[in-house]
Amino acid sequence: MADLQDELQATAEAGRLDAPAKRKPKPSRRFGAAEPIAPPDGTTEPGTTEPGTADGAKAPEAAPEAAGRLADPEGAEQSDGLEEAHAFLADHPVADGYSGLPWVLRHLPWYELELGESGVDTDVPRMREGHIGALFWSLHLSEPLTGDRAVGASLEQLDLVHKAVEADPEHLRLVRTAGEVTDARNRGRVAILLGPAGAPALGDSLAILRALHALGLKALTLAGVSWASEAGLSRFGEEVVREMNRVGVLADLSGASEQTIRRTLAVSRAPVLCTRSAAHALRPHPANLSDDLLAALGEAHGLCMVPLTSEQTGPSVRDVADHLDHVRSIAGPQSVGLSGTYDSGAAHPEDLIDASCYPHLVAELLHRGWSHDDLALLTWGNVQRVLRSADFTARAARDRREASTARIADLDG
Amino acid sequence: MTGTGSLEEARELLREFPIADGHNDLPWALRQQVRYDLGARDIATDQSAYLHTDLARLGAGGVGAQFWSVYVPSNSAFLPGAVPATLEQIDCVRQLIDRYPARLRSALTAADMEAARTEGRIASLMGAEGGHSIDNSLATLRALYALGVRYMTLTHNDNIAWADSATDEPAVGGLSAFGRAVVGEMNREGMLVDLSHVAATTMRDALDASAAPVIFSHSSSRAVCDHPRNIPDDVLERLPANGGVAMVTFVPKFVLQAAVDWTAAADENMRAHGLHHLDTTPEAMRVHREFEERNPRPVATVATVADHLDHMREVAGVDHLGIGGDYDGTAFTPDGLNDVSGYPNLIAELLDRGWSRTDLAKLTWRNAVRVLGAAEDVARDLKSRTAPSNATLEQLDG
Repeated sequence: MADLQDELQATAEAGRLDAPAKRKPKPSRRFGAAEPIAPPDGTTEPGTTEPGTADGAKAPEAAPEAAGRLADPEGAEQSDGLEEAHAFLADHPVADGYSGLPWVLRHLPWYELELGESGVDTDVPRMREGHIGALFWSLHLSEPLTGDRAVGASLEQLDLVHKAVEADPEHLRLVRTAGEVTDARNRGRVAILLGPAGAPALGDSLAILRALHALGLKALTLAGVSWASEAGLSRFGEEVVREMNRVGVLADLSGASEQTIRRTLAVSRAPVLCTRSAAHALRPHPANLSDDLLAALGEAHGLCMVPLTSEQTGPSVRDVADHLDHVRSIAGPQSVGLSGTYDSGAAHPEDLIDASCYPHLVAELLHRGWSHDDLALLTWGNVQRVLRSADFTARAARDRREASTARIADLDG
Repeated sequence: MTGTGSLEEARELLREFPIADGHNDLPWALRQQVRYDLGARDIATDQSAYLHTDLARLGAGGVGAQFWSVYVPSNSAFLPGAVPATLEQIDCVRQLIDRYPARLRSALTAADMEAARTEGRIASLMGAEGGHSIDNSLATLRALYALGVRYMTLTHNDNIAWADSATDEPAVGGLSAFGRAVVGEMNREGMLVDLSHVAATTMRDALDASAAPVIFSHSSSRAVCDHPRNIPDDVLERLPANGGVAMVTFVPKFVLQAAVDWTAAADENMRAHGLHHLDTTPEAMRVHREFEERNPRPVATVATVADHLDHMREVAGVDHLGIGGDYDGTAFTPDGLNDVSGYPNLIAELLDRGWSRTDLAKLTWRNAVRVLGAAEDVARDLKSRTAPSNATLEQLDG
């Protein structure tokens, strides 16, 4: 229970550890050959950084890519907002609901996350600059694998995440519980959560769900299988949700059918996630949620994590902020979260092109008058609440319920 | 027959150094009989009508550690489902451990085995029976390790792409290049390389390739009983240098020459009737029953198994012996070793044959713990020097 009250409390250590990344000169998006690399002796930052305080470095850093914006008369004000955003995020980092990094890494012959990796949108320097404190690494497979092949491929993705995290223990830590997220943050590490995986990864077997959970799986997307389809959850599908509750795997409903979403909200004893859903009322993308569903999600204390993708939210920071405003007003401030959706192949709004860009979004929300309390829930608090609630549900359910041996052939015949 | 005095002494010995058994197929039996409904085969109650194994008989047998096999079939009809089914088998063992915490304890290391012994619980380890369980993926191999699997038999009854089985036609001629990479990755993780079921050529290649001691989780001596599932003397002779452990098995059709011959004759009889030798249709069973009426099935005994151990001790040395009963993985068992309560009879027989208490402690417990600890040491060393491998079958075997 010790972790119940700490999610909004900034820790001095984490804040200080975040600082060096801010001082780093902003690279122009791509880490090319000219990108300064930390010397191999372990000195933390390149000596080329301009002297002076963090404050001095930040105003110019936004210049190259936000030129259009800074050219307008509000430029100075915006840059102040950015500074405030950095300060806010240092205390309340981002818990990001979706990264497609594992699938991208699978296809790189070699990668270097710690010092900067030009082949991806997410690496340690940019996560630091973006103040990402926790990140879901998706195990979704970008190939249409089903059945037994999907199980094996998911195991390979799990192994890849384990390896990538183990390769950089100074910055990354694989976590399974809300308490471990807090612990990672207290030690200045980015907490990596495994998931969501696609439902085909289960091979229609609850035993495999438990095995994947034992390997760290934290979220599962309920779509693309016979038991979670356009028709909603089958009887086996409901049993999957109950078993997920029992072991502590969160249901991800982004991309699920409306019937599946409603049935899962009814069946699940733990809050659910939508790891990549924005407001359908603003942009009619199939994975976006109608106001009805947003309201239902809010009532169920679930979490709608708004993706930073042009396709789902629109091409600008303001578009993303509009979605966040809308979701907050319909589902409530306790039910809105962030989902970078980087390295997923999606195009991103201008100024939000990689994992380093969260301060731009937070600056916009501050500008719109979001309270610090609501912002803290948005960036960090809501994810912690949902994780903690799932952990608690699992602990309680395990004493009441035995592991289910139900089979799809028996329930769905 | 052994005197009651020896049996008493055997039991007393096993209280201090219990049996660490290399192979038990309870999970597969639970899958086949009740589809993992552990309540329907509650091993806290007497299951002698259905199983060789339950908690009371494990206690009576003096079992202190068990490698539970997470076997899945290797025949081509089953193959696409090998990885998912292996995960289900692993889940079964985990559920057993969760369900009977007072008697079973999860063990991932040699230290866990000793802790279980101290607590009087049965250290529960897992072994995968056949390289088909990783579907040619080193990542899947690591996932199995992460889930608690501590040995992998390189093949089961059928060849796989990278290793020859003892009971299939030679194809690779031992281990392929990818097969050696699998062995290397097992060494790096700390998963024991199990050479039961593999061809002698594979045994020799694996001994060449492995940086860690190997095991034979359930195999006996080919010199005593000439069956391909057993270990040739030239391989046993290499165990002292390798540090590995050969765990003698009890399966009558592997350990008793008369049973080997009888099985061959029975199979031939089936073929003569135009039937497959593993056919279990009513017609086939009738043919088999008639054969058995004319030709009584030879019965192995405790002494049969002890003969193997005597020979293996001469060739490999007492530091390289263990026990792997294969209970619930075989239809027939020797007299006196009918189920998991029978181990004291074997120990009593060996006491009567003059085995010292020190030697018996090695046979039952110490060698098995030592070999797992040695694999951990090698893994620690390799992990500090090498990165995990992502080699593929296509890359290495082209």
